[in-house]
Amino acid sequence: MSGNRNYDFLIKLLLIGDSGVGKSCCLLRFSEDSFTPSFITTIGIDFKIRTIELDGKRVKLQIWDTAGQERFRTITTAYYRGAMGILLVYDVTDQRSFENIRTWFANVEQHATEGVNKILIGNKCDWEDKRVVSTEQGETLAKELGIPFLEVSAKSNINIDKAFYSLAADIKKRIIDTAKSEPAASSVNVAQGEGSGGLGKCC
Amino acid sequence: MTSGPDPPPTSTTPGRPASPTGSFFAMSDDEEGEYNTITHTESGRGVKLLFSKSKVYVHPTPSAKDNIPGFIALLQQKGPRNERPTSSSSRMSTSAASSDLLLAWIPETSLGEAASIYVKVDLTDDESPPKQSYLVPPPPTVTTHRGSVGHYSFAIPVSAIYSLLVRPPSLGWWFGSLVINTRAGDSFPALFFHDSECQSTILQKKKRARNDFDPFDKDGQMFWGGDEVLRWLKRYIKIERSGAEPNIYLVEPTKEDSEAFGGKLTSSSPTQVGGRDGGRGASARGAAQAGPSRQSADGQMDPVMKFVKETGWNIMEKFSKVTTFTRRAAQDVLDNPNVPPQVRRLMRNPEVQTIQDEFDSARIYLARWAMGIAEQSERDQTQRIWTARDVLEMEDTDVGEFELLEASSLSLEERRRPVTQKEWATYFDPRTGRLSVTVDEVKERVFHGGLDAEDGVRKEAWLFLLGVYDWYSTAEERRAQMASLRDEYVKLKASWWDRLVDLGGEGEEGDWWREQRSRIEKDVHRTDRTVPIFAGEDIPHPDPDSPFAEVGTNVHLEQMKDMLLTYNEYNKDLGYVQGMSDLLAPIYAVMQDDAIAFWGFQQFMDRMERNFLRDQSGMRNQLMTLDHLVQFMDPKLYLHLQKADSTNFFFFFRMLLVWYKREFKWMDVLRLWEVLWTDYLSSNFHLFIALAILEKHRDVIMNHLLHFDEVLKYVNELSNTIDLGSTLIRAEALYKRFQRLVEAIDKKQNFPKPRVQPKSLTTTSASAATPASAPPASPLRSSTNAAQTSPGNAGKAKEEEQKKIISPELRKLLSRDIEVLPRKVVKTKGDGFTADSRK
Repeated sequence: MSGNRNYDFLIKLLLIGDSGVGKSCCLLRFSEDSFTPSFITTIGIDFKIRTIELDGKRVKLQIWDTAGQERFRTITTAYYRGAMGILLVYDVTDQRSFENIRTWFANVEQHATEGVNKILIGNKCDWEDKRVVSTEQGETLAKELGIPFLEVSAKSNINIDKAFYSLAADIKKRIIDTAKSEPAASSVNVAQGEGSGGLGKCC
Repeated sequence: MTSGPDPPPTSTTPGRPASPTGSFFAMSDDEEGEYNTITHTESGRGVKLLFSKSKVYVHPTPSAKDNIPGFIALLQQKGPRNERPTSSSSRMSTSAASSDLLLAWIPETSLGEAASIYVKVDLTDDESPPKQSYLVPPPPTVTTHRGSVGHYSFAIPVSAIYSLLVRPPSLGWWFGSLVINTRAGDSFPALFFHDSECQSTILQKKKRARNDFDPFDKDGQMFWGGDEVLRWLKRYIKIERSGAEPNIYLVEPTKEDSEAFGGKLTSSSPTQVGGRDGGRGASARGAAQAGPSRQSADGQMDPVMKFVKETGWNIMEKFSKVTTFTRRAAQDVLDNPNVPPQVRRLMRNPEVQTIQDEFDSARIYLARWAMGIAEQSERDQTQRIWTARDVLEMEDTDVGEFELLEASSLSLEERRRPVTQKEWATYFDPRTGRLSVTVDEVKERVFHGGLDAEDGVRKEAWLFLLGVYDWYSTAEERRAQMASLRDEYVKLKASWWDRLVDLGGEGEEGDWWREQRSRIEKDVHRTDRTVPIFAGEDIPHPDPDSPFAEVGTNVHLEQMKDMLLTYNEYNKDLGYVQGMSDLLAPIYAVMQDDAIAFWGFQQFMDRMERNFLRDQSGMRNQLMTLDHLVQFMDPKLYLHLQKADSTNFFFFFRMLLVWYKREFKWMDVLRLWEVLWTDYLSSNFHLFIALAILEKHRDVIMNHLLHFDEVLKYVNELSNTIDLGSTLIRAEALYKRFQRLVEAIDKKQNFPKPRVQPKSLTTTSASAATPASAPPASPLRSSTNAAQTSPGNAGKAKEEEQKKIISPELRKLLSRDIEVLPRKVVKTKGDGFTADSRK
C-alpha cells in the first residue's frame, strides 16, 4: 500500500522568522486557503502538506512550521537539516522582525544543508498604514543575502501561492532536474521514502 | 482450533488427510456420485456436512467472557426423495430439498471427535461443497429455540426457516450477525461471525485480495462470514431479500410473504449459484443516495467498515462489545461534522484513484476516529463514570495485566465525584479554618474526583493545591497572607509602571523591556480567545501604537498582560517565554482577581520554569524520562518508535511544555491541572498522562506510523480528541504498574550479581531534543542505563525482563516532591534581563 504514491517528488520546506510575523497564517493560507485573525502561538513544531503541479509533475510539499521565539531555537534548528527550502519570514509592520532576519539567515547558514534554497518573505503587506519596512528595504536585504524576495499577505491572500511555488520551482530545478541530467546522480531521488529522511532524522 | 493429533486413517485417499478410524464419520469419494460409503459405525447413519464455518459465536450475556464459539454448518440428511442423487451433473448431485437441509449451530465443545471434520470442511477452499462427503453425527434437530436453551446448539430444517436477519459488520456492530426466524415465529439466538478469528474467512479474504485487491471494489462490498452462509443456502434454495427490510432474507417465501415485505427487491434462485449478485438491483436503487449507509446489497458492508476491516485493524474490535454498543447508522457518520474531510471524500467517492491521494492519512484518521466513536457510544450507553475495569477491558495493552484501582473504602463512584464547595468546607475546622483532615485525604479526593467546576470551590482550593496557602494555615493567617500578597503585587506592578513613562527608557534594558512587552502583547491577543472571558474586544486599546489598536481589547486581556509583565519583573532571570500565557490564562479565569491569580501563577511557574530555559535542558530531561519510561513499560512500542526515528519523543514537546493545554478542551484542562497539582502519586504524573496517551494509540502507531513525521502529525492532531476521564484512569493504572515493577526489580536486585557495564544507548543520537547546537550533554546523558533494550536484543523477552534497570530518571518518578530549579540555574539558563546570557 505504501506504493500508492500520488506524487512525483517530495519537497520539504521550513518556515522561520520571529514570533508573531505570521508564519502559521501563511501556511494555513497556502495549505487550506483560510485565515483566522486570532490565531494561537505555535508551540513545538508541526507541518502541513499540499501537493502542487510543477511542469506537469506532482510535487508534494511538506511544509514545517516552527515556534518563532529564539528560546526554542535549540529545538527548532534541529529541523533545519532536512529542509530543501527555507522561507525567512518577517512582518512589514515590525521593524525588529526585519532586523532579525540577518540572525535567522546566519542560523540557516550554520545549521541547514548547504545550498538550501531560500526566499525572503515580508508578510502583512496589506497593512499599509502600519508598515514600517518598505518594499525597497526588503529588496535591498534580499539582494544582499542573494535570495529572492516577495511581499505577501496571508490575510488578503496576496502572493502566498507565488512564494511557495517559486521556492518549490527553484528547488526542483536545483535538485531534481540536475539529478536527471546527470545519470550518475540518479540516486538522488527526493521522492523516495516519504518521511524516512530529512527533517525527521535531524537529530 | 486444532483438535489434537489426527487419528489413524480408515480409508486412505492419496493426497487427502485421512479421517478417524472407527469413529462416527468418514469420507467418501464423491466422484462416483455416492456420498455414503462410510457411515457412522455406531448408529449406522450420519448426515452429510456440506459447509461449515468456524468461530461463529453466541453471545449469551453482555460479557465477552461468556461468548460461546461454535460452527455454523449446512448439513444434508438423507431424505426419502433424495435417496441417490445422479452423477450426471455435479449440481444435481448437490441438490437437495429444503426439508433435507439443516442449518445448524454447534458449540465447539460439543463437537467431540467430529471437530476435525468440521474444521476440514471449513477450510476446504472451494466454491462448491467438498467432492468428498464428510459425514458427521446428526445434531439434534429442533424447530423452536426453547428446546435448545442451555447449550444453544441447534439444527433447523431449512424448510422450517422463515427468514434470516442478516447484519453485516458495521460501525455499530463489529461482528456481523445472523438470526434465524422460524416459520413458527421463533427466533434463535444471534450468531456472531468473528471473522478475524475464522481461518476460512481469513483465507477467503486473502484469496479475494490476491485476485483483485482493491480496497473499494466496484460495489463497495466486502467479504464476511455471513456472505458465505447466504451463498451456501442460495445453492440449494430460493432466498429473497425483503424490499422493506433489507436486512431480512426470506427463505423460500410464498408470494404473500414477498408482498408482505414490501415487494421483491432481489432474489436468487438455486440457479444463480454462488453469486454475490444480489446487490446489483439494490445498488441501482441506492445509487442516487450514494453513501456508506446504503446497506442494500447482499450482506454488504458499508465502505467505512470495509475499509476499517480490510486494512486489518483490530482496534474497533477491542472497543466494541456488541451488546453495549449504540447502533449508529452509517448515515450519521457522513452528517457528523467531526468526520475529517479526507474520510468524507473517501466515503463519497469510493474509488481507488481518488483515494490514493489521501490513502495513507485517511486510514490513520479513520482508525483514530473509529476509536473515538466506539468510545463515545460506550459513554452514551453507560451514562456513568468509567471504571478502571472498563478502560482496561476495552484495550489490550502490552504493559501487562493491570491492578485494579478500587482498593478504597469509598466506592468508585463516590471517589470519582467532584469535590464540591460544601464537601471542601467539611475538611476544615469551622472555628479556626484549619485543615482537620490529612493533606493526603484531600489530595486523594481531588486526584480522583477533581473539583466542582461550577460552584467556585476552585477559587480557594487551587490556592492550596498551587502552594500559595499553607495546608495547615488558619483562616486568619490566610487573610493576612492575602493582604500582604496584594500589597506585594501592587509594588511589583509599580516597578514596570515606572518604565511606562519613557517606554522602558534608553539603552539595552529599554530595548529588552520593549521587546518583552510587545511579545506579551502579541501572545495575550492569541491566547484562549475562544474562552468567553478572553473573547471580547469591547474596550479601545490603551496603546494606539499596538498592532491590536484597531481591533480593541477587553479588561481581562489587559489584566493578563499586566500579570505577565509583572512576572517579568518578579523573575528577572527567566524572562517571558511563549507558553507562559497559556499557563496563566486558566488560573486567572478561575480567580478573576489579578493579584491572587498572579501568586498562583508564580507558584505554578516554580515547577514549570524548567520548561522555559534557553538551552531547553528541562524539556530535554522530561523527554528523556519519557523515553526511559516507555522503554521500561512497553519495550515493543519503544522498539517500534525507535524504528520510526521517534524516540526523541519530540512529538510530546507541546504537551509537556504547557501541560496538555492545547490537547484538551478548556474545562478538561482545569480538571487535569488540579489533578496534577495534587502530586498525589508523583510530582511528574504528567509523564504518565503522556504514557497513557501513547498506550491508548499504540495499535495505530505500531500498525500505521512508520516515520517520525507520521508520528508527529498523528500525535499533534490528537489535540481536542482525547478523553480526559479514561486517560486519567489509564495513567493511574500505568503508574501503579510502574511502581510494582520497580519494587519487583528492586527486590530481585537485592541479590548481588556480577556487574555488567551497561551498553551505551544507540538511540541517544535520535533525539531532536539534543541537536548538535545544544550545550554539552547534560549529566543525565551518562545515565542511560535505563531499561536498555537494544534492537538487536529484541524478542528475547526474558533477558529483557532481567535487563530492566531503573534509571535515576525513572526512580525520580516515584517522588512526590516538586522539583524547583535553584535560582542559580535560572540565572545561567534563563533569558531575563538579569540572566547571565545578557552579560
